[in-house]
Amino acid sequence: MTIIQFTNVNKYYGDFHVLKDINLTIQSGEVVVILGPSGSGKSTLLRCINRLEDISSGELIVDGFKVHDKNTNINLLRQEIGMVFQHFYLYPHKTVLENITLAPIKVRKMNPEEARKGAMELLTKVGIPEKANAYPSQLSGGQQQRVAIARGLAMKPKIMLFDEPTSALDPEMIGEVLDVMRTLAKEGMTMVCVTHEMGFAREVADRIIFMDEGRILEVGTPEEFFNNPKEERTKLFLSRILHH
Amino acid sequence: MDFSFLEVHKEDFIDGFLTTLSVSLVALVLSLIIGTIIAIFRISPLAILRAIGTAYVEFFRNTPLVIQVFFFYFGLASIHINLSKFFVGSLGLAIYTGSFMAEAIRAGIQAVPKGQMEAARSSGLSYVQAMWHVILPQAFKLIIPPLGNQFINLVKNSSVLAIIAGTDLLYAADVAIANYDVTSVYVLVALLYLVITIPLSIGVNYLEKRWAKKG
Repeated sequence: MTIIQFTNVNKYYGDFHVLKDINLTIQSGEVVVILGPSGSGKSTLLRCINRLEDISSGELIVDGFKVHDKNTNINLLRQEIGMVFQHFYLYPHKTVLENITLAPIKVRKMNPEEARKGAMELLTKVGIPEKANAYPSQLSGGQQQRVAIARGLAMKPKIMLFDEPTSALDPEMIGEVLDVMRTLAKEGMTMVCVTHEMGFAREVADRIIFMDEGRILEVGTPEEFFNNPKEERTKLFLSRILHH
Repeated sequence: MDFSFLEVHKEDFIDGFLTTLSVSLVALVLSLIIGTIIAIFRISPLAILRAIGTAYVEFFRNTPLVIQVFFFYFGLASIHINLSKFFVGSLGLAIYTGSFMAEAIRAGIQAVPKGQMEAARSSGLSYVQAMWHVILPQAFKLIIPPLGNQFINLVKNSSVLAIIAGTDLLYAADVAIANYDVTSVYVLVALLYLVITIPLSIGVNYLEKRWAKKG
């Protein structure tokens, strides 16, 4: 079942053409990894899905919602999409537990006790139930990002978006975050990930999308993409990142 | 120093002190509400709200408080809207101080990383919910020192009430100096203002330290 569909999507920042004629269909349960050099529009593409960025033209339908339509109640769609950011953006004035339960209590009107129970289960899942009452500043980067993933999952979303989730982490902490993402992928979560983790992309992705200068240049399985890239630009990219 | 005036005017000073304290408290709460609303107007994506916010700040910040209070008291009375001195004092102070608070609060909101709003909105919170639960609590922690200055200015500015015979502290002094030693009277008044403002300073410092620790 199609859950995300970009049709002829373009986006401009002023005169700058960030996304060029994007056509992309993502199925429910699919894990899609977006690769590409910096400035290629990967993050922008991702951020269009929950309308953190508006598209300039074309159609974007996510979980049945017309994201391109100004009249769409975007808050309803956003309840179905969890998002994890490069810099975590946990709420520093709230405890780990409060970070996770805020949206379920305020948006879903969940009973607070029930929300806390759900949050504890998620914290167990990401491996840090003992940090429930800590503040974000007391956690390592890897722990903060795992809390951020738990926060994203707390609304029981249909889609999870990851915007370079390991790029701000110490190398030692990348593994623990990728492990959580791997588990999610196995459970059948629909995931769209912008990342530079080639190992993760190769192992977990159902499809890889390669972008350059605002265009999708190549789409394929990890097998095809890494072993037999078609485009010259893709070959260059891979040679640079795999043999440095 | 000759505090013999207290034998006659003790009640006036107690009343004056309580009036100053209560006008200040009411105005403080009101000015925080006004300041927050105007600050949000100032950064609104809607041009009309931004214009209203800017007009408010520029007008009330750049005209003397005395004139604003005269307007609310005498100006409105001339068109048969008679407001109590207490009401005029609190409202005038709140409207005036609110313009300064709005600027401090706006700076605070803008100092919160943009990603905080994005994280909150992407979880499905509305703009107002995100402001209330995520952005404003962080903004206020950042601006405790300038906000504290405004609180203290507000208490001192409440002396403007005396010019419309508002029975505040300064008015009690104005009454007492008719027959007694001027210096002693004003020393007492100054001390009584300090009784309000010093604990306020200490409270603000305490909050600043406590919140700095929690991060």
